[in-house]
Parts: sequence; structure tokens; C-alpha cells
Amino acid sequence: MTGRSVVSTDQAVRTKAGERRAVLVWQIAFGLGALALWELTGRVFGSTWTSLPSQIAQRLLLWGGTDLFRHVYVTLTEVFVGLALGTVAGVVAGLALGRTQTLALVLRPIIVTLYSVPLVTMAPLLILWFGLEMESKIVLVTVVVFFLMFFNTFAGVQSIDPLLVTTLDLMGATTLERYRKVIAPAAMAWIFSGIKIALPYALSAATTGELLGGSYGLGTLLSRAGSQFDMTGLYTALIVLLVIGILLSEGVAFVENHLLRWRHVAE
Amino acid sequence: MEPVSAALPEKINFSGVGKTFFVRGTEVQALQPIDLAVRAREFVALVGPSGCGKSTLLNLVAGLLQPSEGSVTYDGKPVQGLNFRVGYMTQKDTLLPWRSAADNIGVSLELHCRSVSKAERAERIAAMVDLVGLSGFENHFPGELSGGMRKRVALARTLIYEPETLLMDEPFGALDAQLKLVMQDQLQRITQDRKMTVLFVTHDLGEAIAIGDRVVVFSGRPGRIRAIRDVTLPRPRDVFRMRFSEEFSRLHEELWDELKDEVVKGTDI
Repeated sequence: MTGRSVVSTDQAVRTKAGERRAVLVWQIAFGLGALALWELTGRVFGSTWTSLPSQIAQRLLLWGGTDLFRHVYVTLTEVFVGLALGTVAGVVAGLALGRTQTLALVLRPIIVTLYSVPLVTMAPLLILWFGLEMESKIVLVTVVVFFLMFFNTFAGVQSIDPLLVTTLDLMGATTLERYRKVIAPAAMAWIFSGIKIALPYALSAATTGELLGGSYGLGTLLSRAGSQFDMTGLYTALIVLLVIGILLSEGVAFVENHLLRWRHVAE
Repeated sequence: MEPVSAALPEKINFSGVGKTFFVRGTEVQALQPIDLAVRAREFVALVGPSGCGKSTLLNLVAGLLQPSEGSVTYDGKPVQGLNFRVGYMTQKDTLLPWRSAADNIGVSLELHCRSVSKAERAERIAAMVDLVGLSGFENHFPGELSGGMRKRVALARTLIYEPETLLMDEPFGALDAQLKLVMQDQLQRITQDRKMTVLFVTHDLGEAIAIGDRVVVFSGRPGRIRAIRDVTLPRPRDVFRMRFSEEFSRLHEELWDELKDEVVKGTDI
């Protein structure tokens, strides 16, 4: 009896893997079909507005030989430094306000009010303050990430079961131990989901800042191509951004699955 | 035969202790003023219908709640703030979901105030895992364990740091009948060996008589004490067979008469 059930779960696993492979094949086929259609319509009806996949590929190779990597490096540096600073600030503020009622009463409405300003509109101001290079964009990313991480951590801390805290308290945990053993690990899940949400926003904040000025970065590349009416350049920069976006979110999902294994085992 | 604990000093004292809660502006009396003294090393089982304030009593001893009237003393001193001398096993198992069973059991030994060497911690965890029958599940997360297993992890976690007093709120409620007996047997042995004082809340009258030195029957809400009986069966008891003894039957019958009315009353509501 047990033997049979093992076989059937084995089969279930195999079918699932098979299904996933079939889906992947279809997705690749669909992607290639879309590219072919793009190339074909471009060649038949003219490619002034749409460029051509073949031209984009050539441009990618051309840029790859010059300073594409410098642009990518600048944008990624802005994203990661801003993400790190914003996460630390947002988590610290979220923990402090989430655990201290009076602080939350005073400061939270102020933070909510500030957040109602569309944050990327701060870019011109920040560029005036911090200059055209990386610093101003890092500050912009930090601000955007701070708010997202703050709200996530705050909600996370509030949702911690007070009985978990009480249990440790009764064992004689100090305030620091209470944070280290209960609150920080419980907040971890929220912090990761916060980073997952914040990442695309961080990338868009960095590139938006770059659109307004600067000498390197994918946003700079975009605005330069735009002002020169260089369709192929625009599409190439967008495709590079797309790939970076996918890699970043996949990376976070991978790390999350490993660090938060306990959350997935029950399912 | 007089129970051993008769000669021992008083550990916990409730005198005129009542508790009233405010639920959405209305006053709800959970506990009518009660008097109860628990001696050191005594095992007191509290039985009664749901919502009769038994859990409230435990919360008062742990210092999680303050009485609305009367006073609760521990070792002769009023309970003020959290009472670190007790180990509290709440009805809901408050395991840390991100820690394995073994790491949950050993969490108290990581705290500064109870810190032990890594080797000793591992040794004591292993002994506890063995004791509560969780071998092979040490590295499972709480989300992977059944309700009964989680209860056993919670029990091991409470026992491992050997608090002098145990507060237990229906610890074996979720276990199957056989395992319940095994756990009762182990609990009475551990608490005897380590000379612990125990306040044990249960729904199960048989369980209360099987492991208690004294059984306190509560009435339904608002809770008050309806009957108290000493269980003079000698220790160590054989929880598997004592159910067939004469004294057990007599006590069960007597106390069931007290409890029956309350249970029936409870079903009317």
C-alpha cells in the first residue's frame, strides 16, 4: 500500500516537472514568434518607429564593445547603494515605531503625509542639491525604498503574535534578546517581501533620475537615444533594463526561498 | 496517608481574588472572588467548563494580569510584574515558526540569564526530545509537525529550564488518548523528581485525578470554586492502571456529580 502511494507521488512530481517544461517550451516559442513577427512587419512596412530585432542585436554588440557595462554598473550601483541605505533606515524606523506606540502616534502621520508626494518628482530638487552624478540618484532611490520598507516593517511588527513575545519574556529574555529572538526573525519575512516590492521601484527611481541628467547610467543612455531620435538605441537600452529587472527579482526570490525555508515547508 | 506536601510551605496564595474584564464597554466578571492556597511541590489540577476563569488564574500567577480585587502572592510576596519563577505552557502553542523543534526546545538556554555551554544545551535538548518522544523530528519546523507534536515541543521547551513552578493550560488536550497517558506519566515523574509546584488546567476530570495531589472543580462563568478534593493515591502512580482503583472511581463519581451540573448548564447557553 505504501509502495503504491510512493509511486503515485513520484508520478505526480514527474508530471509537474513535465508540465513546467512544456510551459517553458511554449513560452520560448511564443517569444521567438513575437520577435519574428516584429522583424517581418518592420521589414515589410518600414522600421522608422519600431526598429528591428536584428538591428537591436547589432547595437547590443556594438555597445557591448564600448561603454554599455559602465552604464549598467552606474545604474546598478545606484540601485544597490540606495536599496541598502533605504532598507536599513526603513527597517529601523519601522521597528522603532512598530514597537513604540507614542512614537508611532506622533511620527507615522507625518511619514504618511510625506509619502503622498509622488517621490520621483523630487528628482530635480535632489539633482540641484546633490549634483548630476550618482549621489543624487542614490538619494532618490534611498527615499523611495525607505518609505516602502518602513510601511512593510511597521505592518510586520504589528502583526507579531504578542504571546510569542510573552513566552520569551517569561523565560527572562532581556529587551535586546526579545528583539533578536522574536521580533527580528519575525520581521525578516516582511523585510524580504518589502525588498521584493521595493526593487522595481528602486530601478525606476534610479533611471528616472538619470533621465534628467548625468553622464552614465541606463537612463542617460535612454534620454540620449531619445533626443537623437535613435529608435534602435531606445529599444536596446529598454531591453537591457528589462533583463536587469528580471535578474534582480529572480535573485531576491532565490535568496528568500533559502532564508525563509520555514515559511514554505508547511505548504 | 497524608500527602508529602502537607508539611511544605505555601507557594501560591489567592486570597479573595476576583477578575473583571471590560469587553466593548460591558463589564464581564470572569472570576468571582476565590481563596486557594497551593503548597510548594503540590500538583493542583483545576477542572471546570470553558470560560470559568481557570486560564485567568494562571495568567495572574504569571503576572500577565492583575487581579481586580484581592491579592495573589508567590512565596509570600504579591505578584508584581512578570513572575520569572514560573514556566508557562499556554493553551496555544507559541512556538517560534522559524526555528526547528530542537531549537524551539532549547531557546530558553540561549538567554543570558539561563545561559549554558553549547555542549550542555545540545545534551539537554537531546534528553528532552527523547523524553517527549520527538526523536527523528528534531529538525522539523513547527509548520511540519502535527498539533500533538507541537504540544510536545511546547512541553519540552517549558520543562527544559526547570522552572520551580509549572503553569499548564490544557497541555494534553490535543493529544490522542494513549499518548495523553504517556505524557501524564512522564509529567508526574518529572515534576516529582525536580520537586516542582504545578497548576494544571484541564477539561478532563480523569486526567485531573490521575495526576493531581488536589483537584479543584470550578463552576461556569463567573468562575468560583465548587469543590476541592485531595487525591491520596500514593506516588509514583501508575496512570495506566490507577483508573481501575477504588479510590479513583469514588473520587471520579463524587467530583463528576459536582461537575455534571456545570457542564449541563454550559450546554444550555
